[in-house]
Amino acid sequence: MSITLVNPMDERALPNAIPAPRLRSIEGACIALLDIGKAGGSVFLDRLRTLLHQKYGVLEVLRYRKPTFAKPIPESVLADIRQVQPHAVIEALAD
Amino acid sequence: MLGRGERAPDLEGLIPDGPLLLSFVKTDCPACHLALRCLDDLDAQFGDAGRIVVLSQDDRERTAAMSEGLRLRLPARLDEGWSASAAFGFEAVPALFLIDGEGLVAGSCQGFDKADLNSLAANLSDLLDRPRVARLKTGDGTPEFQPGCVSRHLEPESDAEPAPLPGLYDLRSRRASRVEVPPGVEAEEFCYQQGFADPLPVVPPTVERVDAAIAASGLEPAEVVAHIPPNYAPATVEKIAANAVMAGCLPAYMRVLVPAVRALCDERLDIHGVQGTTHFAAPLAIVNGPVRREMGFACGSNVFSNAARPNSAIGRAIQLVLRNLGGASPGTIDMSTLGNPGRFSYVIGENEERSPWGPLASDLGVAAGRNAVTFFCAEPPRAVSEHKARSGGTLLRAFCPVLANVWSHRSCGRSEALVVIGPEHAATLQRSGFSKRDAVQFLYDNTGVPVSEYDGDGGEGTHEASNYEECVIRGVRCYRKFARPESIRVMVAGGPAGKFSAVLGSWATGTGGSQMVCHEFE
Repeated sequence: MSITLVNPMDERALPNAIPAPRLRSIEGACIALLDIGKAGGSVFLDRLRTLLHQKYGVLEVLRYRKPTFAKPIPESVLADIRQVQPHAVIEALAD
Repeated sequence: MLGRGERAPDLEGLIPDGPLLLSFVKTDCPACHLALRCLDDLDAQFGDAGRIVVLSQDDRERTAAMSEGLRLRLPARLDEGWSASAAFGFEAVPALFLIDGEGLVAGSCQGFDKADLNSLAANLSDLLDRPRVARLKTGDGTPEFQPGCVSRHLEPESDAEPAPLPGLYDLRSRRASRVEVPPGVEAEEFCYQQGFADPLPVVPPTVERVDAAIAASGLEPAEVVAHIPPNYAPATVEKIAANAVMAGCLPAYMRVLVPAVRALCDERLDIHGVQGTTHFAAPLAIVNGPVRREMGFACGSNVFSNAARPNSAIGRAIQLVLRNLGGASPGTIDMSTLGNPGRFSYVIGENEERSPWGPLASDLGVAAGRNAVTFFCAEPPRAVSEHKARSGGTLLRAFCPVLANVWSHRSCGRSEALVVIGPEHAATLQRSGFSKRDAVQFLYDNTGVPVSEYDGDGGEGTHEASNYEECVIRGVRCYRKFARPESIRVMVAGGPAGKFSAVLGSWATGTGGSQMVCHEFE
């Protein structure tokens, strides 16, 4: 006799996220850096900002920060980034 | 945005005459879904229809799908072309406007905010000259505040398809599918192959077993109890029952497991963050009330280990729900560096009968004698062994160095701790006349990190030392470890013999991290 089980898993078909179009060049671009709030992140991002300006000719580097690494980004910070409409946003996880 | 005293625009009959509460929403906005469920309840309390008016910024089809998903009785009108939205001039939804009988704006708010909603509902009652409606409660698992989304009329134009409805606040979901075990394959082995569980053998979730668990819950199988972070899959009664069966639960355990899953997803606990942390933290459930004895929870010897079926099986079911519905499998979302044995199962009962004090749940607002489940995202237990102390003060000083090390040695003011006192230690404290409050205050006053520990070349917590509170503990200059006495919670558990206790440190705490939550149940 066959055995029938109740599926205990998440069965939703999650849509694949489509990556944003890649920039051909970041020279002269406006780049937003999102600091996720981990200790030491600002040191790393300070250095990244310098390199983006000096090595890649980025015109403007904007800095944003999550209030806590422990929770998802609040809509208010996303809205701030959207309002400026930078050419690209770089968000990174760190530990 | 129109403010108090300004005249609401004339929109050719789209909005009826006041007094009324007008709410603009869009269908893919989670904060709008939260607000709509509250508004639906308020509308039912006002009795006659029409005092609460919803204007959707989306088309008829999407609006109907949202209303059906949320099981709203409240009808929604459409703000076609967003002319009303533009006329009211707000930036985010949900946007609420209280309009009086003269057609003037008498109050407004944007985003979901329980305090604002309570205020607007009370003022609407007053305008209608009726008794005030029941207030929205705090601590019901929904956030006190959630920012809204940008209003549809201000969104950049795009040809892209609108985002799919997230359904984060749906009350019902689809039934689980059925899976046939192939002939000749052991059902237990099949479950392992399918990735249904942790690496231990499971009880196969057959239709008959799951149906029995659902029946014991007294709930509809498609009812959504919570959405499990970080993937936010709907935890229907049926899905919870399937995971309960696999974990070895008896059907009767659904009485505790269902409210436990609800508490687990209380936003204050922030299980979202704990699911993906590299830290040790795992959600520890503490059970209080008569249900402990009725169902046979371990509260005494071996309380943290494998002494009783309800602790072990319900704890495992909680972990399976987090893994199978939340998506936090080790090596993917769950990237804990060293892990925690509690990730198999982490449920204890308080030994209320051997405690000289009230139960933990009563410290968190639930009356003594009521059933409650409390969650604390905790490190593994740290041992406190003290066999010679004859006074409460001498005994508690043995706890302080252990407490001083929770989270990180030199980090102060950021962590919390749960102190689980064994019955013999509790008796010593009782003999010395310590109330629970006295014990907590003693631990708070006497736990610190010597200032001399901060003279090295840095280290975690040192860069914040200028903000720490300095104190002197037994002649030694220290920084105080805990921000306030309430950062330390005390309970009693364990067996009758043995002068042992335990300290459990927290994960990130406060409103920016995980807060202890306590939910009452029948």
